[in-house]
Amino acid sequence: MCGTNIAKMVDVEAVAGFVSGLPNVVLARTYKYMCSNPGQEMITQDIKEFQLDRIVVAACSPNMHERTFRSALRLAGLNQYLFEMANIREQCSWVHTDIKEATEKAKALVYAAVCRVELHEPLDSVSVDMCPNVLVIGGGIAGTTAALELADAGNTVYLVEKNNYLGGNLARVDLTAPHLYSARDLLTERVTRVMDHKKIKVFFESKVSVLTGFIGNFKGTIHHLNGNSPDMAKPVEVEIGNVIVCTGYKEFDASRIVHYGYGKLPNVITSFELEKMIRTGRIETKNGKAPKYVAIIHCVGSRSQEFHTYCSRVCCMTALKYAHEIKSANPECYISDIYIDMHAFGKGHEDFYRRSSEAKTMFLMYEKDDRPVIHKASPKDDCEMLIEVNEKLSGEQIEIPADLVVLMVGMEARADSYEIARIVNISQDKDGWFIESHPKLEPVATTTDGIFIAGTCVAPKDIPDTVAQARAAAARILARIAKERIEVDALYSEVLEEKCSGCRFCNQLCPFSAIEYLEDKKQSHIISALCKGCGVCVASCPSYAIKGRHFTDQQVLAQIDGLFVI
Amino acid sequence: MAIRVNPKFIDVLGRFGAEDVQLCYQCGDCSTVCTRADELYRFPRKSMHLLQMGLEQKIETTLEPWLCYYCGQCSEQCPREADPGETMMSLRRWLISRYDFTGIARQFFRSRTTEVLAVIIIGILTGLFLLFYGFSGGNINVYDGAGAFLPSTFIHKFDLTIGAVLAFFLIINAIHMWYLVMVKGTQFEVPWWIYFKQFYQFPWHFFTQKRYSECEKKQQHSIYMPWLLHLGLMLGYVIMLVLVMVFIENLQAGPEIQWQVHIFGYLATIGLVAGTIYFIRSRLTKKYIQYKKSHGTDWMFIVLLFIIVVTGIAQHIFHRTGLLGPANITYVIHLMAVVPWLLRMPFSKWAHLVYRPLAMYLSSVRREAFARQEVVSELYPVFIK
Repeated sequence: MCGTNIAKMVDVEAVAGFVSGLPNVVLARTYKYMCSNPGQEMITQDIKEFQLDRIVVAACSPNMHERTFRSALRLAGLNQYLFEMANIREQCSWVHTDIKEATEKAKALVYAAVCRVELHEPLDSVSVDMCPNVLVIGGGIAGTTAALELADAGNTVYLVEKNNYLGGNLARVDLTAPHLYSARDLLTERVTRVMDHKKIKVFFESKVSVLTGFIGNFKGTIHHLNGNSPDMAKPVEVEIGNVIVCTGYKEFDASRIVHYGYGKLPNVITSFELEKMIRTGRIETKNGKAPKYVAIIHCVGSRSQEFHTYCSRVCCMTALKYAHEIKSANPECYISDIYIDMHAFGKGHEDFYRRSSEAKTMFLMYEKDDRPVIHKASPKDDCEMLIEVNEKLSGEQIEIPADLVVLMVGMEARADSYEIARIVNISQDKDGWFIESHPKLEPVATTTDGIFIAGTCVAPKDIPDTVAQARAAAARILARIAKERIEVDALYSEVLEEKCSGCRFCNQLCPFSAIEYLEDKKQSHIISALCKGCGVCVASCPSYAIKGRHFTDQQVLAQIDGLFVI
Repeated sequence: MAIRVNPKFIDVLGRFGAEDVQLCYQCGDCSTVCTRADELYRFPRKSMHLLQMGLEQKIETTLEPWLCYYCGQCSEQCPREADPGETMMSLRRWLISRYDFTGIARQFFRSRTTEVLAVIIIGILTGLFLLFYGFSGGNINVYDGAGAFLPSTFIHKFDLTIGAVLAFFLIINAIHMWYLVMVKGTQFEVPWWIYFKQFYQFPWHFFTQKRYSECEKKQQHSIYMPWLLHLGLMLGYVIMLVLVMVFIENLQAGPEIQWQVHIFGYLATIGLVAGTIYFIRSRLTKKYIQYKKSHGTDWMFIVLLFIIVVTGIAQHIFHRTGLLGPANITYVIHLMAVVPWLLRMPFSKWAHLVYRPLAMYLSSVRREAFARQEVVSELYPVFIK
């Protein structure tokens, strides 16, 4: 009944009455919350008492509670695959408004499930060895953190870095917001430890070119990017059990927005260029003068339909950090902060924002699709440039004097992220960020078992979140290494050797690279640990030589037949 | 035409009392709690932002600061303690200095020393002049009639002269205000007849301060005390000014009580005594948020007025009880406070006696003209645009 979730739209007693009259059905019960402990106990008790050998639960989606009920079956000593769920909540009570028709549909769904479950076979899960070595791709703050976490626990880590230094984008930053810790301090300790660690092998100027295998048993090939010296030209093969991808981000190319004249006006610079000035200790215009007016423009490339629709999350606080750094370097300087919305969501951010207000930073708001326009000032003005803005909070058309304009460039997915996604077999969203297996509950896992993602290659995020993800990914892997073996779901497909002609259609189609071709037998073979049971190969096989376990043709057809009986 | 922002303006306003305006992050809570803000006049939020941006040319044409009576509700609500109420107050101070063509108001607001010195010098000069005049033709022991130390006919002329000076500055500054608001700051057409139609607003708001009585806090008390006492104080000195300017000869006659004028004098005195004591006490105890911050000029006004009230009462009692010598001496002291107090008026917050009802009047004129404009543009959209 799911409380009233189902019962308010489906006459559950009528459904139970109908089902109990079906052939092969021993017992049909209703219960207020079947997923609750008493509900599960009821199932276990009934299995024992009535010697039941197949169970159907008509409730919510299997995504939600299939695991719950399967464990109830296991407790009663029944194979967990002799179970089927009929979804009469999401696919019935929640989406219909007519009780009579919804009840009829529920009957059909349950009848279909009963027809199907009759053909279910007991299946056994398989388990494979877990190789304790880990491959970490990317040597930024996420990669170094994850590598140290794993190596400190005694595992070998292969850290592959594209550049000839560690630290990634963070190595280009001076201070961090909002506590103004030095980024260098954060990194140096990490980098030194990684370089000295006996269990970490760092590959500089390298990339992973091939990754094969499956969870616990991957094989990776690491190529040196610059194959000039002969000993480096040779690719290195490594054996690993898990992979963490933390390849980071690249900054938005500001010259794409013509309004800002980046690349044309000499004193329009990006946040990273300002960062460089701050690190050299000289904030000045191109002709070497200390700027009197500095304007900071937010959301460059972010939060717009034209470029990236998402928020880059770190720029607001970084902009306030710049206001602080410029003001402390030159107290005479006037700073205007031209923003769309101030996103001060994190710990200590709101206080930092307030401090910036106290320092009399001038905050000006522009409308998302009405960007400021930067002009060169005339010689009689006391500034280099004038920024025209339709100020949203006052409704006034204003112009802001500026000697130096800082563009807060947003984050975007790296150009090579597609290539990486293909190699490690993970997916990307429309913006090129890697996709988590669940955005809330599985933030660092991917749809490929054994491949984890962390940091800004997943989405824009700040340092604390990046570090948290890196540690989370490392912790997930450590837990698996500790178990030494890993259980794989029994829902995989099998090649029926007597039918396979070795045409290799399925090899190309498998989205998980789970099908290998056995040269000696001239037949395809499915690696059960890698197979997700999606069924693409089953459907594609011209000689019906592949069987999707738990999704056999007979089972599916029986279910469909069941639907149409009513 | 884009207006240039001026980041230095916020520091200028600091001298006028707006110390926390930079903290405002434009959440708009202040305008939400304000019962006086509306669609056409969005304050304090928008005024705060114009100030943050330093759009001087814009602020000098706005009426918003005058539409606020500083009940303090906005400052209590402000999540960032940006004190919008005090900011509106300092904008009023700044506007007074902006309307004033002499630049004296600006000096007084920015420097307490200048103001105190000016008041003392004018006071001493007045005293010396009156003593010189009194001793040259009168007797210190004669209060009225022939041979009086300060004869009422002379005082009458003296008062009218001061009144003329006062009116001269106030009228010119009020015209300046009208020019800034209605010519420079009003983008739409205002037909002349609306000025006539809405004119009643000026005396109405002058004598009732109706909008003040409607401030938020009224709901907490059956009568909103700051409004009542403010009104009492204002009516008190206005009645006194009228008595002194027009009926001084009847007022000074005696020693019998001249009921036909003195009854008004007594009523006005009640308002003045209650008002001055209440405001001095409030500024000292700082219980209400609007009295927490006192600018130097606020103190000057209320303290001088208190001296005037006390010496006025003393002089009246001395005269009626036959102590004519002391009566004449307190009279001189009284005038030593009255003259700088009056002369200071056009250059101080007190000028809001004129500017505020004028602002109510002009705001009603603008409101009607604006509504008319909207109706016209709905009827003939093509012609207007």
